[in-house]
Amino acid sequence: MSVHPGQARSVQGRIERPRWTSAGGGGVPSVGRVLTYAVLIGLSIVVLAPVVWAVLSSFKTQTELAQRPPAPLPSSLSPANYTEALSSFDFGLYLQNSVIVTVGATLLTVVVNTMCAYGLAKYNFRGRDVLFLIVLGTIMIPLQLIFIPVYQMAAQLGLVNSLWGLIIPPAATPTGVFLLRQYMLGIPDDLIEAARIDGAGEFRIFARIVVPLCGAALAVVTIFSVMWRWNDFLWPLIISQDQAKYTLPVALAQFNSQLSVPFNYILAMSVVSMLPVVVIFLILQRHIVRGIANTGFK
Amino acid sequence: MSSSHRRQPKPWNQRLAPYLFVLPNMLIFGLFVVYPAINNFNISLYDSRNGRDFTYVGGANYQELFGSEEFWSAARATVVFALCFVVLTTVLALALALLLNRRIKGRAFFRTVFFLPVVLSPVVVGLIWGWIFDRGNGLLNTVLGRLGLGQPGWLVDSGLSMAVVIFVGLWMHIGFYILIILAGLQGIDPTFYEAARMDGATSWQQLRKITLPLLRPTTMVVVILSLIAGFQAFDYIWTLTGGGPIGATTLMVQYIYENAFQSPIRYGMAAAASVVLFVTVFALTLLNFLYGRRKEAT
Amino acid sequence: MRRILASCIAIVTLAGCAPGATSGGGSEPQVDDKTLTYLYFTDGPDEQATRSLIADYEKKSGVKVDLQIVPFDNLEQRLQARLSGGNAPDVARLTDISPFRSDLLDLNKFQKAALDDQFIDGADAYTKGPDGELLGVPSDLTMNGPLVNVDQFKKAGVSLPDVTKPWKWDEMVAAAQKVQKANKTQYAIAMDVSGHRFSTMLSQFGTTFLSADGTAVGLDTQKATAAVKRFADLNASGAMPADLWLQAGSKYKAANEIFLAQQTPVYISGNWQVSAFAKDAKFTWAVAPNPCQENCGGFPGGKFMVSFKQSKRQQAAADFIAYMNSKESQERLAKEANFLPTRKDLISSGIDYTQRDADMKVFLADVSRTPAQAFATSYSPAFAATAKATVDELSKVLAKKESPEQAVEAIKAAAEKALKDTK
Repeated sequence: MSVHPGQARSVQGRIERPRWTSAGGGGVPSVGRVLTYAVLIGLSIVVLAPVVWAVLSSFKTQTELAQRPPAPLPSSLSPANYTEALSSFDFGLYLQNSVIVTVGATLLTVVVNTMCAYGLAKYNFRGRDVLFLIVLGTIMIPLQLIFIPVYQMAAQLGLVNSLWGLIIPPAATPTGVFLLRQYMLGIPDDLIEAARIDGAGEFRIFARIVVPLCGAALAVVTIFSVMWRWNDFLWPLIISQDQAKYTLPVALAQFNSQLSVPFNYILAMSVVSMLPVVVIFLILQRHIVRGIANTGFK
Repeated sequence: MSSSHRRQPKPWNQRLAPYLFVLPNMLIFGLFVVYPAINNFNISLYDSRNGRDFTYVGGANYQELFGSEEFWSAARATVVFALCFVVLTTVLALALALLLNRRIKGRAFFRTVFFLPVVLSPVVVGLIWGWIFDRGNGLLNTVLGRLGLGQPGWLVDSGLSMAVVIFVGLWMHIGFYILIILAGLQGIDPTFYEAARMDGATSWQQLRKITLPLLRPTTMVVVILSLIAGFQAFDYIWTLTGGGPIGATTLMVQYIYENAFQSPIRYGMAAAASVVLFVTVFALTLLNFLYGRRKEAT
Repeated sequence: MRRILASCIAIVTLAGCAPGATSGGGSEPQVDDKTLTYLYFTDGPDEQATRSLIADYEKKSGVKVDLQIVPFDNLEQRLQARLSGGNAPDVARLTDISPFRSDLLDLNKFQKAALDDQFIDGADAYTKGPDGELLGVPSDLTMNGPLVNVDQFKKAGVSLPDVTKPWKWDEMVAAAQKVQKANKTQYAIAMDVSGHRFSTMLSQFGTTFLSADGTAVGLDTQKATAAVKRFADLNASGAMPADLWLQAGSKYKAANEIFLAQQTPVYISGNWQVSAFAKDAKFTWAVAPNPCQENCGGFPGGKFMVSFKQSKRQQAAADFIAYMNSKESQERLAKEANFLPTRKDLISSGIDYTQRDADMKVFLADVSRTPAQAFATSYSPAFAATAKATVDELSKVLAKKESPEQAVEAIKAAAEKALKDTK
């Protein structure tokens, strides 16, 4: 059973029938509340400590990083790693490329994924199941495995060495389609039927009724897309061949040599590249937390 | 199969609309994922020492693969890893998302904390946890040593290193799945809870009779995505253990990567291994999907 | 279900056609647009030196060189994809040319006078094609050898060997252990987790993976077992860090951090550490001569500059390679980046380094002491794969899952297979 339309009502029906004898009335006992905080705080420390340590370590020099056992704190909060890494190349240009690619690819991803998910979730048409299985099947193909054939395709289409090559090929993320499709299954068909009776066109129904109901899922797909495209490494590395087309992760990785890796720069740049994603997350997470009250189901 | 119950033919725009909705996504998809994947299957029938010159060998790659001890060792490790990863991810993400969906103080803070490791680069993840789990000089063993608890060889002992790799995988990815479940929770019609509360259902009953059943499409997303992630795990493991000690944490994608891009290059073998991986995961996903749909139909 | 089956059949049918490389085998139409792309990976100090050489070249020739720096780990993968997509760079810097052999341009067609027979003889077997084509130019040489913490040696009152009179393995181990005790360091000797570095020890114990012409397995069971045993004993006794090997898995891991943290007085690595340590080491250190056992000297490695048949600017590419490997350019690069030269004339005349000259001279002295078989092995197409297998086998020995004898047999088998695979 699921939130499938039509069954929604039967869920309600089933709930109404048995008379539960609890006297609680849904209030949360305070022991539970204390336990909740204890668990959350405990886990937060486990989760947060290594992240904080990574941030602190990004201020360490190569020599400090080599120290055994490693010291928890850097000897000073000198920004040398940051300034040296950033000044060793054209940071502004790479930042600009990264922003263009991330914004462009995310917009494209959200639009095409949502449309595709809607088609798969709310229409009954020939080939639907096959298409959906193809979507499912391809989530599991890591780029690592089909690297060369994909590159050949991009090369034939003239997408090499252009930012379009970074925006278009990764846009049709199967994960996004899958996630949105599952979410849309929960939207009652009656809503769509009612709109049709009112004379609304198919695209209008999609844009005006369905999309506004998918706020939470759209927020998640947006966060994921920003995260993936911002941190994308393998694909830009092969598509961006001129240094003028490098994105930040590619530019940063060029320090990695055969015999030594400058971990001090890598740590610092990893912190820098974390920031935008965290900011986007903070902005968008309100849509996911907005709460049960106003999702629009009525 | 599910959406519409009508018998009479639909108007042309309703028949055409789904194809138009899925078209843009499927076009990009076909070009950059499906076609290269087919190409990859094709390559698995050839022998290639460089990914460019091919000799047809039929099933010889598969034969060599199934006779290779390293392949089976990687396959076993992958199954163990993926199984633990899926079960633990699903259970933990569900539990944490439910906790984080409650009206508690600092909810936004906790959500952000759990999301932070998701945006950290895999190289840094491997580096930081390497400092923590190192046997002689690691932070963890320094603490354990002071407490008189000995110095376990976290990354030296085969069993322990697999446990460490699973733990770090959970640490790194759990925020991603929590987010998906949180989004799913926002899609549940609040009137169900109101009705249940009026009937005097306890919060445990609400969880079992409303939340979990209605969350099934989302849970399926988590199971399938974590299954796929489990079978694809590679990058942070590579920096953390390098697949060691003695191959204990060498998973399938690393095996494929080493065959495809490290001397001696066996591109056809790598392609064959990725076809095997693909077929396995696809079969599992299909089972999951069909099971989910049977549930939907009841 | 039937539809799924139908699409499966369709997929299989589609797969019937052969995978093809997009580039034809014929000669590429050439253009003369005064530009060049140079695919490069950096070891650090060489980047600036290379850039300044390129700036001079651009001024002199009017050709614009687009330096494309990529991380070393992804270099081969990226190059493979670019070759398969038909847009290879014009020039590339590589450590292993064997996977690309059939794609490489014969530089003798363009710059025979400047390039042919100018470089160390050991490299010829590797850089020459079956018909004497020059497929690549050795652009720098590396030499493995021990680096020592002079402060710690002084404190322990242990003296270092003279460049002309190298120590024996036993002497080096004894000295290192004495220094370890006096300074309470964690280890006595550390070595990078690398089959290439272990080849140094093998060569000193009198054997190498491959024979003197690089075409057959050359590993002497008895000598190799002695080396592996010695290595295992040193690790088991805690003189060497066994955990470093076990925790590295099958990826390369440097032991430089242990040396920098002053937890080992002796560190077996190579000349590329010189400029890095000049910057990062907070103590007095020096390069010591390689220890002798059956043989003296270290183990060589290096990088190559190549161009591709796919290139549309073959003449310009060859000209650029000739410029970068001329006597003047190589001397400049070597001086600024603490590299070792590959040109015969520079090896015999020597180079005066601007920084750490004495240390570089130790490496240069070891170049001449290194047996020819070591060069042949290092420059064999089968070397990379054998070295990788060696790391795995040594890990098994350290984990006590395998005896040294078994490991040597496995390494021999890996070398055999690598030779067959690279034929």
